Amino acid sequence: MTTETDILIVGTGFAGLGMAIQLKRSGRENFIAIERAGDVGGTWRDNHYPGIACDVPSHLYSYSYLPNPDWSRVFSPGGEIQAYIRKCAEDEGILPHIHFHTNMLKSTWDEDAKRWIVETSKGTYAAKILITGTGHLADGHMPNIEGLDSFTGDVFHSADWDHSVPLEGKRIGVVGSGASAIQIVPEMQRLASELVVFQRSAPYMIPRWDRAFTEGERRMCRRDPSVVEDMRSEIFWSGEFNFAQRRNIPRFLNEAKALAVGHREANIKDPELLAKLTPDYEIGCKRLLISNTYYPAVAAENATLEASALQRVEGNTAYGASGTGYDLDVLVFATGFEAVRPPFATRIFGTEGISLDERWDQGMQAYDSIAVNGYPNLFIINGPNTGLGHNSVVYIIEAQVDYIMEALAQIDAQNIEVIEVKRAAEDAYMEKLDAMAQGTVWLAGGCKSWYVDERSGRLTLVWPDFAHSFRDENGTFHPEGYDMQPAPVAAE
Amino acid sequence: MLDNQPFREGHVTVNGVDVRYRVAGPENDRTPLVLVHGTAGSIDGHYGYIFPMMAYRQRVIALDWSEPAGDTLELADLVAQVKAVITAEVPEGPVTLMGYSLGACVAAMTAAEMGGKIANLILAAGWLRTDTHQKMRNDVWRQLRDQDSASVTQYMTFCAFSPAFMNMRTVEDMKAAAGMLKITPFVEKQMDLNTRIDIAAACETIAAKTLVIGCTYDMMVPKHHSKQLFGAIEDARYAEIPSGHAVVHERAAELFHYVDRFTRQPDEFPAGAIIPAQKP
Repeated sequence: MTTETDILIVGTGFAGLGMAIQLKRSGRENFIAIERAGDVGGTWRDNHYPGIACDVPSHLYSYSYLPNPDWSRVFSPGGEIQAYIRKCAEDEGILPHIHFHTNMLKSTWDEDAKRWIVETSKGTYAAKILITGTGHLADGHMPNIEGLDSFTGDVFHSADWDHSVPLEGKRIGVVGSGASAIQIVPEMQRLASELVVFQRSAPYMIPRWDRAFTEGERRMCRRDPSVVEDMRSEIFWSGEFNFAQRRNIPRFLNEAKALAVGHREANIKDPELLAKLTPDYEIGCKRLLISNTYYPAVAAENATLEASALQRVEGNTAYGASGTGYDLDVLVFATGFEAVRPPFATRIFGTEGISLDERWDQGMQAYDSIAVNGYPNLFIINGPNTGLGHNSVVYIIEAQVDYIMEALAQIDAQNIEVIEVKRAAEDAYMEKLDAMAQGTVWLAGGCKSWYVDERSGRLTLVWPDFAHSFRDENGTFHPEGYDMQPAPVAAE
Repeated sequence: MLDNQPFREGHVTVNGVDVRYRVAGPENDRTPLVLVHGTAGSIDGHYGYIFPMMAYRQRVIALDWSEPAGDTLELADLVAQVKAVITAEVPEGPVTLMGYSLGACVAAMTAAEMGGKIANLILAAGWLRTDTHQKMRNDVWRQLRDQDSASVTQYMTFCAFSPAFMNMRTVEDMKAAAGMLKITPFVEKQMDLNTRIDIAAACETIAAKTLVIGCTYDMMVPKHHSKQLFGAIEDARYAEIPSGHAVVHERAAELFHYVDRFTRQPDEFPAGAIIPAQKP
């Protein structure tokens, strides 16, 4: 049996849920969101490792139309963000539209029916419009490590934390030194008898200006919502200022670097460790991290920083590329996500019968960062060139939802059956982005990062400009980029 | 590798003094943008953010004021310098002219005098006529200066930034920022000129499409001045930034946002419009 719906949304994280809320608020009822897990929240549901928090202040990292006066801290813990997302889904009446434990397996475009046929773990759906909100941080990346199968201890990925594994007094290895790792490491250092951090490359880090909000402050936010609005504005525009660093302008890049160097030197006194923790590329080329607890943790007596990648495992011994081996009880892989080649793209097949992943064999690209030629009636939220190195992705998601809402209104008004972006428009958009990306720290900063597609050297993950200009450029629907076919008028 | 933007330096002689300026960014369908700094400012001091960021979008020209001969500085001295730079670089016009603080008064006067060559005008934290509130502040400044008091730069800093901006920092941070300010004889002449501004009549004649930007928490040039400019200039629209007077530092990215949108499409909002703030 096939479930018919006007609009099918894939995923219920910030993107999918934000889309669903606006559909519902506009008076639409004929939509379904499929969710592979048993709860909403996306990356905030999956990532529940010790120490998880967001790097964007909570008052901004939330929907603009659903402010939360009750955030406990400037940077609230992950569980609070997850609870916020769930509450949004409940309050907005979205839960009845969500089909949980429903994993998209294969979506194909049915040219005759002008429908997306979406096969899932719970049956088949047919939808006029398909919207993906699968995110950049959905599927954990596990490096292929020689001999890992032989490891005698416990192994898990940071995005699939096994809370049943006892950690107290254990010898723990953390693989990675990115955004997840630097939150996990201080927690592990407190528990472990010995801690080893396998660091392929040193990250830049700046202080985290975090603090708890008082009850009085929370009451102030409840009593006067304009206070929250002012805070959002202030956080957003301070974040925007920092785009000048990513733009790689010497003055601003050097200011950021001075902050990072000062933070490092204030925390790390051992010259050998300091050298290991000093990056060999420009600040911002890889994600800039914020932490007050990471440096003290790696400098602690029970911690060892192995300044090379984990290379192989033999029994209970894990070897860095340097050749040094460590006997360990637990290995935690904080090795990030499949961001550059998102797995959802292998499951969507367009008019030519090829997958998006194949179509993107030189890297992801989409017109207005949302639509791909050959994949009609498909909108991708938080897909190619939507990531930010300096501000809140929820802002980008809201701009994309606005775009889709305008497109849907036009589709309805003109009784459009098929909407497909023109290839020339898509290519022109990418050429524009390629030109904008030249000279930015992501391309010129001398590092290897998940922002850049190795196959083409193109910046495919990040929007290479201010966040506000994403909204200016991509927050409204551009019909001129699309071919739109009206539905045939039914014969009398 | 840092992205060192190529730029060209130029200079013109105005009434016997050398005026230096900088040109960067591609020529395209946007009108060249000319930037005029304010009191105690410079290209780097007031446009350290806007100049390089706008130069990724379009042609940008900015000048540093030079001290003219004589004991007293007049608005006409600074207007002459701006006119000379425009004439040297974009002799046929049109340009978009932006001024900040006293530079906004200079830019408005320049627009009144140059007519059609100034197609678009951006006035950030400028004013029409010096009022009692400003004279009072200026008078305290003058007394501190005459006492050669170190607190004169702290007073300037106190007046320049909004409470919200200051409260993200420590008193020591703010004092260190004050310590960077240098009061030269030329700055003293600018401060004196600040007490004598009256461009009300000239503003009535400005034909340029104008964006007036007021700053909500401005204690030096409170936003009612920007409202007066918004009223006086026929083809004006108004935007407000929740910042102190030092908007070029405090909310540089938000200022960029308004400048970028206006230079891309000056008629996006009609004359008389109050542009709604973007709510992130």
